[in-house]
Amino acid sequence: MYVILRLIIGSVFLVSGFSKVLAPYQNFLYVVQAYQLLPSWAETLTAQIFPWIELLTGVFMFLGLWTPWALRGAVTLFGVFVVVVGQALIRHLALDNCGCFGEWIHLQPQTVIVMDSFSLLLTFVLLRHISSVKKFSLDSYFDKA
Amino acid sequence: MSKWQSTLVIILILVGSIVGAKVLLIPKKVVVNVQQGRTKGDPNARVKIVEFVDFQCPACAHGITLLKSYFAEHPNDIYLQVRYFPLTNMHQHAMISALYSECASRQGKFWELDDQMIPQQSQWAQLINPEPVFQAMAQQVGMDVNQLNTCLASDDARKVINDEKSLGQTLGINETPTYFINNKMVVGTKSLTEELKNYFPDIK
Repeated sequence: MYVILRLIIGSVFLVSGFSKVLAPYQNFLYVVQAYQLLPSWAETLTAQIFPWIELLTGVFMFLGLWTPWALRGAVTLFGVFVVVVGQALIRHLALDNCGCFGEWIHLQPQTVIVMDSFSLLLTFVLLRHISSVKKFSLDSYFDKA
Repeated sequence: MSKWQSTLVIILILVGSIVGAKVLLIPKKVVVNVQQGRTKGDPNARVKIVEFVDFQCPACAHGITLLKSYFAEHPNDIYLQVRYFPLTNMHQHAMISALYSECASRQGKFWELDDQMIPQQSQWAQLINPEPVFQAMAQQVGMDVNQLNTCLASDDARKVINDEKSLGQTLGINETPTYFINNKMVVGTKSLTEELKNYFPDIK
């Protein structure tokens, strides 16, 4: 059960990260700009770095490598998503699409904040059961070796 | 192999494969075609802008208005070309508005129709059938209506639009408006203004 949850959350970050890093960063920059939260230089930096953080978090969670750190990373990312999408909803910003999965999947911000909050809770649960989460992972292989 | 070594190998494979895929798959340059009726300005101008637009997209309308004012301020420095990127899954009139624009360009009336269509976007975008409005605009700008209707019924105009959208997709375009300013990709009007400030520090 915990392993499946780890794989599912890892896959979410994998899909999200892949869809963004494969596209020109300007597409994600446009999404970041829509949230009207950062100065221009920080928007550009975020658009270039954030997809790679998502992708690496997804890869490590999926493979179960450095699992506790990947889970902490996932908690941070979900927390950031909830805050960023939440402030956009409070400010009534016109967002047709959250931009979470690049062009692959379009989701309304209202849907996303519910999904992210739920995922944040699930990731906390996984952090509390780390030994079960590490089954069938590269971590367990290296721990035995 | 230790855990650290494995981590390093995984990161290197991941980064290498993505960078490789990006280099191989995405063409870097968009060709500015000077033969088409959707261009404005001196082809030798120092700033060449290709804009991919959806005529029903509100941000595109804002971008077109911005570019119009920049062009008015710097007519000798900007060469502009419009390309189609109708987001048909988001905007129900994206294709028909592009078709009218393409047929107008074939009569040398692209910019005149654009000047009618864009300021009234919020009105015709609400209509179930905007064609009577487009027909009235076409007549207002002096288009030959018979020629227009023949063009609208032909597959050729639609093919041009679909081909340009396909080209846009191969360039990595997901959103509109997307611009290529001297071949540098820029998405949205905020980035457009910031990029153009590098060439024209006086613009606001």
